[in-house]
Amino acid sequence: MCVELLGSTPAILGINFGQSYASIAVLDKEGHPTCIANEDGERQIACAIAYAGEEVYIGNGAKPHLVKNGKNTIMGFRNLLGHTYDQVDHTAIFTAPLIPESETPAYTVDILIPPPKIASAPGLRSAAASGTATPNPAALEPVPSTKTLTVPEVTTLFLSTLFASAIDFLGTKPTACVISAPTWFTHEQTDALKAAATAAGINVLQVLDEAAAVLVGYRVGLSEELEKRDKKVVVLDMGETSLGVSVIACSEGEYTVLGKGRDDKLGGREFDNLLLKHFAKEFTKKTKVPLDLPCAEGAPEADKRAEAKLRLAVEHTKRSLSASAGAATCAVESLKDGMDLSTSINRLRFDSLASSVYRQVGSRLTDIITSSGLSLLQIDEVLLAGSSTLFPGLQSHLSLLVQPTTPVTSTIDPSEVIAIGCALQALHLSTLDSALNLDEVLVLGKNEVLTLAKPIGICLPQLHTSNGDGNGAEMVKIIDIGAPLPSRRRVVIPTSGKGKYGVEIWEGEDEIKVTKIEKTETTKEKIEEDGEDEEDDDEEDEEIKTVITLRKTLLGSVEVEVEEGSVVLEIIVLRGGGMEVRAWEEGHEDRSEKFEM
Amino acid sequence: MASIITLPITLSPIPEGWSKPTPPSTPKLTPAIPRVVYPAGPSFVASARRQLLQRSFAEDDEHVLKVRAEAEKLAKAGEGEDEYPGLGLEEESQELLASDPKEWKKQDHYAILGLGHLRYKATDEHIKVAHRRKVLRHHPDKKAGASGSSTNDDAFFKCIQKAHETLTNPERRRQFDSVDWNIDDSVPDFHHIPAEDYCAIVGPMFAREARFSKIQPVPEFGGQDASKKEVEGFYDFWYNFDSWRSFEWHDKEVNEGSDSRDDKRFTEKKNKTERARRKKDDNTRLRELVDEVLAHDPRIKRIKAEEKAARDAKKKGGAGTTNGKPLTAAEKAAAAKKIKEEEEAKKEKEKKSSEASKADREAAKKAKEAARKNLKKWKKSIAGVITSSNYFLPDGTAPPASTVEKQLGELDTLCELLEPEEVKGLKEEVEKAGKDGAKDVLVNSVKALGDKGEGKFTEFA
Repeated sequence: MCVELLGSTPAILGINFGQSYASIAVLDKEGHPTCIANEDGERQIACAIAYAGEEVYIGNGAKPHLVKNGKNTIMGFRNLLGHTYDQVDHTAIFTAPLIPESETPAYTVDILIPPPKIASAPGLRSAAASGTATPNPAALEPVPSTKTLTVPEVTTLFLSTLFASAIDFLGTKPTACVISAPTWFTHEQTDALKAAATAAGINVLQVLDEAAAVLVGYRVGLSEELEKRDKKVVVLDMGETSLGVSVIACSEGEYTVLGKGRDDKLGGREFDNLLLKHFAKEFTKKTKVPLDLPCAEGAPEADKRAEAKLRLAVEHTKRSLSASAGAATCAVESLKDGMDLSTSINRLRFDSLASSVYRQVGSRLTDIITSSGLSLLQIDEVLLAGSSTLFPGLQSHLSLLVQPTTPVTSTIDPSEVIAIGCALQALHLSTLDSALNLDEVLVLGKNEVLTLAKPIGICLPQLHTSNGDGNGAEMVKIIDIGAPLPSRRRVVIPTSGKGKYGVEIWEGEDEIKVTKIEKTETTKEKIEEDGEDEEDDDEEDEEIKTVITLRKTLLGSVEVEVEEGSVVLEIIVLRGGGMEVRAWEEGHEDRSEKFEM
Repeated sequence: MASIITLPITLSPIPEGWSKPTPPSTPKLTPAIPRVVYPAGPSFVASARRQLLQRSFAEDDEHVLKVRAEAEKLAKAGEGEDEYPGLGLEEESQELLASDPKEWKKQDHYAILGLGHLRYKATDEHIKVAHRRKVLRHHPDKKAGASGSSTNDDAFFKCIQKAHETLTNPERRRQFDSVDWNIDDSVPDFHHIPAEDYCAIVGPMFAREARFSKIQPVPEFGGQDASKKEVEGFYDFWYNFDSWRSFEWHDKEVNEGSDSRDDKRFTEKKNKTERARRKKDDNTRLRELVDEVLAHDPRIKRIKAEEKAARDAKKKGGAGTTNGKPLTAAEKAAAAKKIKEEEEAKKEKEKKSSEASKADREAAKKAKEAARKNLKKWKKSIAGVITSSNYFLPDGTAPPASTVEKQLGELDTLCELLEPEEVKGLKEEVEKAGKDGAKDVLVNSVKALGDKGEGKFTEFA
């Protein structure tokens, strides 16, 4: 139901601001959102800033500085936003040191201030000292100094480079922007992020939950026909550092949170560590140089350097593993003691290495679904987001975990879907009805909304008769749980011809039905005929679990006189718990029968 | 909008004995649970709209339908214009499709790209879009699959590429535009254009010529009632027309095979002179055209008449304004009419009188002619008298050259100022007066001239 675009496409920006990587998306000429690359050609832009003398590196160029220049490199600053210094765990940081700067955490870095003659500003992003010869060469020497940057300042600096990339791509300044924030961000953190982005000159319409951005990005529940309007989906977002799982009830395109959870230890870094370990072992085996990675506390400096080097290399190995089926190489010059590492790993080997992580992801997923009061069987779709879900091994593991009919969706590149969702959301918000005020609309999203507790569905009279006692019979679900009230559904029920038709409206409950398939005599005989080698198959009867909705409370019924054609049934559940039901023959809306509660 | 799903079940008629089941006294739903709903996606926007504007589902449907209908209407309005405004689809004739890429100098590049209706007016964007369109249709890769066409027939595609190459290079495009033979540059016969159609016929002609102007925008020809200033400005511009038109297109190619530098230079030189000649011809053509147009422009006559009328009105001492008040339109019209009538009457009269006195005038003319012939003779005889009288100086003194010159010069002036008949009379008088009285006669005749001769004479004063 997206408002159709007329004329030129608006300059709109979506930013996925992750802990480790960020990506940006804009609308292309056809009005489709696309993830764009920055000047270095990177779609995944590392959230890193490195100060090296007079130079400042932002993005992927800053990552290699972790090896030599770790104490002047800033990384992982997003999660610190909105926290005071005391709230932040500042011991385990191996990048630039954190210091308290009037309560806010801040980084200190060594910089060289260019000589005053060339640049008056304390050379933040100025190019290398160039210039005219001066009589006094000493005056040209840059002055060593330290610089203190608070976390919001760092964020602003980083976001402004993303913004600049978008401006370069679009040719104009984006007028509207939506930034993603993790599901677990508090209000203070969200506000801090918004303030930092505004300071970078970005017009932020909304700070959007990552899971919501994924849903918008995949356009869940909005594609015409074919798809179920009401479904329960799981958003599995596995980034570099953490795993987030959100269980969402999608009700005609409105997304109600049924439950969510996260694991901030489980991320792409786990895969890195596995690969590190693997390669370190291989390195030791080949060169006889002892190397045990990842380093423990108090490991020698050489090992730490080796780890940093290998981490950078492993990043590429990981990417080629998820991109292509062949073997992925890993090569590091002078990893330790002047010895080089050059090796490769194929997918099969990697999957066996990573199977424990896969299983961990699977169990977290199951736990979170269960804790939201659902079963894995009830999930209609799993949506993947985050670069770490790109591994085919992980995807196949997940699809084995859920029902065979449940798709594990990665139709949009999971590493780009959040940015794309943000861009789409920015589009939706910037094309609001003129009578609406953006702030008022967004305030609505801050409060909790009353949602349907039990599914509502219909039963046909004949089912009722066939099953003697009404209770316990199956019903056809019309509105699922989690639908924000008020909610409306319209369904068309085909009829078998002229006559009088009746429909009962029930409230029901989901239940899991277990059907045991016993092998019938005929099949058994058949197997025996086929031979004896298949006999060990019938040790166990197969169990098939399906979710059915059983009716619990009768709410009312309607009767419709039909000449020919179908019956249209409309159910509106009001916010106060009331309900309006109308039914009419298709095309004769004026002759409807209804009841209200 | 309400989305309608068709359920996968089929209703069958109510079975016998089924009556509406009565729900428990007051059926109630299980109390709703408050949950977080993501403020995201179009459905959220729709629900927010319903809530904030306090619309029911049905009202919102209505509103959405209305908005959608409006959007469709807008889209439809834009559709007629195609996705590229002003760039319609042109038919590709068989003849055009059979163009030979080798003959690119003779091919119509605009028609090849389907821009035949725009020509020099086509913008760079038009050319880009048109080229893309044609390439999509005629690319050899596309044709390879199509049956019935020989696979390696990419002649037309080559033509397209050549046309694109020519039209995207500003210099080459100017060269082509300069000689674009598909633009009709015929000139109408000015003698037979009725005055009221003049502007309508001549205007477009100049609009067409204006494309060659280095100075843009070019003043328009203007309408029938353009002001004097406009008309003058127009002709002024066109008499000082600065054209970028050039004729490189007609250059002869240097013979490919020959390496001879002399040969090349010779051809180049020839081309250069040819270009210069054509350019000159073109300038002449334009100037003559403007001359012609100016000569037949009905507005010039109108402006002259108006000016005359204005002058007349001034002469009459503000007769144009009655009682100091400005003239009303009706009065003005009346005045104009009067002037016109007067003019006509005058013309009529002149015509009549001219017919009547034609014979007289001819006789007079002849006499005048004869007199003019004799004028020299008479002058000579007067001069003879003056000489014989020793330039009115006492005998024996040699007259100074300056006096001689002065006297003869004044005589000339005198003869010029007098009518031939009068000169004849003067001569007779001078001869009669003889040496002594000649000067007096001359002085008298100068005096008779009065004002006319004032200051011109010293010797005969």
